[in-house]
Amino acid sequence: MRQAGVYSGILSGGGISGRTGPHLLPLARIKKIMKKSSVDVKMISGEAPLVFSKACELFIEELTKRSWNMTIQGKRRTLHKEDVASALATTDVFDFLINLVYPNASDHPNLNEEYTEKKQ
Amino acid sequence: MVDEHDKLLPVANVGRIMKQMLPPTAKVSKEAKETIQECATEFISFVTGEASDKCHKENRKTVNGDDICWALASLGFDDSSEAIVRYLSKYREFEREKAAASSSATSVVKEENVDKASAGSSNS
Repeated sequence: MRQAGVYSGILSGGGISGRTGPHLLPLARIKKIMKKSSVDVKMISGEAPLVFSKACELFIEELTKRSWNMTIQGKRRTLHKEDVASALATTDVFDFLINLVYPNASDHPNLNEEYTEKKQ
Repeated sequence: MVDEHDKLLPVANVGRIMKQMLPPTAKVSKEAKETIQECATEFISFVTGEASDKCHKENRKTVNGDDICWALASLGFDDSSEAIVRYLSKYREFEREKAAASSSATSVVKEENVDKASAGSSNS
């Protein structure tokens, strides 16, 4: 098993984020999730979980940033699930997640409006 | 017995990444953290599915880094896609340098063995 820290040190020194240190997400867990995603997934190259560790980091950062904006708009200092739901509802690229957070979109006041508009 | 948590990214790791984006005084509810944990896990499944479809159509068995980059762009994660392409090229460069270093070390060892063998044969 490779040492994650070695790669990160090489890759992130002067790299995209400039952050050093070990991977923020465990590669074995990522690989497990990938395998479970579809019956078609047979083999996964060594670099794929590594790529996802970075992609997920960026994803979490983006979602957190947008969710926090909702928190601020509500004049609060605690990020709640509703803020995450609002961030999902107002970002097109996160559409695939709306049903994950609220299986019935009508449960959420902000989502109901968005959901109805999109259906029309 | 399957642990449910094995199916998700670890919440502690997710929390750490979130913290980096927030001011020091910000608080995050446990439920919000778990929600983002689920979203990030679903993100992996979603993108992998797209990448896997592409491999399937092209009769390839292995999902590689390029497929992930393509899937990210295809699904609208343009900014991520560009950053990941750069990350991937650096990783591949590192792998190439590592392979080159280990093969030159191997060839040095081979030369030594040849010298020893010829020295041995001359003695007999």
